[in-house]
Amino acid sequence: MKMIILIALREYAENVKTKGFWAGILLFPLILVGVFFFQTLLAESTPSRYYLLIDQSGRYANAVDAAIRQEQQRRILQAFVAYVLENRSDAPLTQIPGQSNAQIDQLIDDVGVDEVAAVDQWLNNGGLDFLLTLAAPVLREDAPAFVPPREQFLPAPLPVDIADAASTEEIVERLRPWLNAERMLLIDGERSPLFALILIPPDVDSAIQRPGAALPSQATAPAGVQYWASNLTDTRLPNAIERSINNAIRDREFTDQGIDIQRVRNVQRTRLPLSRLDPRKEAGEEAVSIADTFRQWAPVGFVYLMFISLMQSVQYLLSNTIEEKSNRIIEVLLASVTPLELMMGKLLGIGLSGITTIAAWLLSFFLFVLFYPGTETELITQFFQVLMSSDLIPYFVFYFLAGYALYAGIFLAIGSLCNTLKEAQSLMMPMMMVLIAPLVTMTFIAQDPNGSVARIMSWIPLFTPFTMMNRAAAQPPLFDIIGTTFLLVLSIVLVLWLSGKVFRQGVLRTGQPPRIVEILRMLRHRH
Amino acid sequence: MQPEPVLELQKVSKRYGSFTAVNNISFSIPAGSIYGFLGPNGAGKTTTIRMILDILKPDAGSIRILGESCALNVRHRIGYLPEEKGLYKKMRVWSIIAYFATLKGMGRKAARAQAFELLERYGLKDYAESRVESLSKGMGQKVQVLSAVAHRPELVILDEPFSGLDPVNQEVLEQLIRDMAAAGQTVIFSTHIMQHAERLCDRMLLITKGQKVFDGTLDDAHALIPRRVILECQSDQCPAPASPDILSVTELPILEPTRTAQTRRWEILLNEQADPQMILQHCFTQRIALSRFDYTQPSLHDVFVHLVGSDAREHALR
Repeated sequence: MKMIILIALREYAENVKTKGFWAGILLFPLILVGVFFFQTLLAESTPSRYYLLIDQSGRYANAVDAAIRQEQQRRILQAFVAYVLENRSDAPLTQIPGQSNAQIDQLIDDVGVDEVAAVDQWLNNGGLDFLLTLAAPVLREDAPAFVPPREQFLPAPLPVDIADAASTEEIVERLRPWLNAERMLLIDGERSPLFALILIPPDVDSAIQRPGAALPSQATAPAGVQYWASNLTDTRLPNAIERSINNAIRDREFTDQGIDIQRVRNVQRTRLPLSRLDPRKEAGEEAVSIADTFRQWAPVGFVYLMFISLMQSVQYLLSNTIEEKSNRIIEVLLASVTPLELMMGKLLGIGLSGITTIAAWLLSFFLFVLFYPGTETELITQFFQVLMSSDLIPYFVFYFLAGYALYAGIFLAIGSLCNTLKEAQSLMMPMMMVLIAPLVTMTFIAQDPNGSVARIMSWIPLFTPFTMMNRAAAQPPLFDIIGTTFLLVLSIVLVLWLSGKVFRQGVLRTGQPPRIVEILRMLRHRH
Repeated sequence: MQPEPVLELQKVSKRYGSFTAVNNISFSIPAGSIYGFLGPNGAGKTTTIRMILDILKPDAGSIRILGESCALNVRHRIGYLPEEKGLYKKMRVWSIIAYFATLKGMGRKAARAQAFELLERYGLKDYAESRVESLSKGMGQKVQVLSAVAHRPELVILDEPFSGLDPVNQEVLEQLIRDMAAAGQTVIFSTHIMQHAERLCDRMLLITKGQKVFDGTLDDAHALIPRRVILECQSDQCPAPASPDILSVTELPILEPTRTAQTRRWEILLNEQADPQMILQHCFTQRIALSRFDYTQPSLHDVFVHLVGSDAREHALR
């Protein structure tokens, strides 16, 4: 035992000294800070985008304008919801309904059904001011004033005269240098690129498609509204325009068919709320809160954490064993300790450094929440408390250690058979495939935690730590918990015993890694 | 009564598939001696050492080491330097010596003090805090020797400790081995360089192709091959006297250019008791002018070549 501890301590001390270890430890807080910092920065620094609207038909300019205005209002709304969540008075998270409150719901519904009307109505009601009055009672006294986000899409002045342009094509040709960013717009003394050109041709109505009519032949010429932009990823603007123009056309169709638009709208805005209830909770508290939803999804984060940390530890274990093997330190070690002591010492030492990494991550997470003021962190603090109050942490500790023992045993055996990392790659491949599986099914299992896929995977020992962690929040059947734990512990003992055998014979091997037959012979070998 | 030997092998064999690495070897090593393990490359030295240390299991035969049948039981009393040298590259010199000493059961503080003391005594004081990766190959090897013996083991087994060392450091290592023997430790080392064995060993074992061909003292070894006298003179006949002590007379070809074409060269082999002076005396009384008279004590190298000669050459040519 003393030897195991000596070896473990050295492994730990050496591992902790490596750059990789510190990179691993520092990466997480860096990402954490980075995500929040850059998200804020990005949100504030996305430049205003200039668009040019040319409506030759003269029928849709208003609708498009409204659509763009709504895009802005939508962002204001989103920012406002975040603002309210952040600055609410100290109502615990468990009491804030899982879904946004009814009035905001109504608004979102309306936006979905009929944006023009909804935003119009919102604006008629007083817009932002109306919302602020609505939210005032739940806000903290010292809440800062709400700053609406900057406008993202702004109309641009025409950079070139197109009055004498004969055709749509010609207009596009004249504007092409700006669209390709070969030339810049000059607005308020600043040079800005033209983000998009929305061109509505005079005969646009001829492209309207109605149900029942034959589908138009695959014409090469663009049909309907033309949206010209070299940015293909930002689809907010074209989506908003398409929706708003279609709404405008539908309105006209209603009128043409003698239907009162207002009545249609009223019908579309009729709604029945849906309450999400959890049968496992006490009577009267069944309403599903944000905290519940979070608790349900938290295991996914743990599975991910487990995966990353496991990968790191196991990789280190492998490369370290190969180092000892390739420079023959192993022989000196084996003259001093038994192979089993060596293996256990390594397992323990590297395991400890894995735990150190996780502890450092949690600590940095905690410190981050503590010292990084404002924005989303208050929310995280509450999530953190939800987490600590749940029984997920003990699950995580158990499954992490179990998963580590299982995989480390396998990877140590692999390491003992190889002289170079390159040789190890081919033996590692199947293990990597196995390790990927829980990661791929992670989201799916969180959604269906007691489904058949989840249950089957739980009973495969290689997946048990991940899958059971994944299911931890959904109170899996006791039979599953006890059965899989039993099987898992059994497999760990078996794996460590077998890899001990392989390790003992493998560490002194030189030359090519063994073939499968030889490995099987090693497993059968009696010492 | 003889004290129990530190190490005793009886009819030990080891096979790898159809290849027999060690074949039926027996020998024993008395306490406090310096014992040389000699043999050409691939003779089975390293395999024998690994079996002694219980890293490999013999297929047949028995090994008793420090009164035990299994080296693992007494591993703290053994120091081992393997043939292929390697250390943890990132560790500091003193801490690697101390680490291996603690693995051998030494206390942490004692191990640390011992590490610094050894580094100072064997000229590595300035490198104590360096990382192993910054050392030259020879220095690294010295560090490894020190880490093998830092816990003052009763039995030290060094596999090819001299290879890769420059002459100065070879002498330092020889001194270390003598120091240990003086302190009552038993040292076994393997080598294929005979000079080291000649200078250091009380006893030696010579194996080739897995088989023991010699086990004894340096004098025993010298006695194995006849004494040799080389004569050169301008005579048609060998000027050797008729004596029962002369085992053989052979004329050797002269390959290098000589002053006179008539010069001829003879090799005379004498038995152990013979006095080479009698040849000189015989020539003097016969008034034969000798242009060369060479009498040399056969070196261990000659013994080695004599014993494994054809095998070793054959091996080298393969």
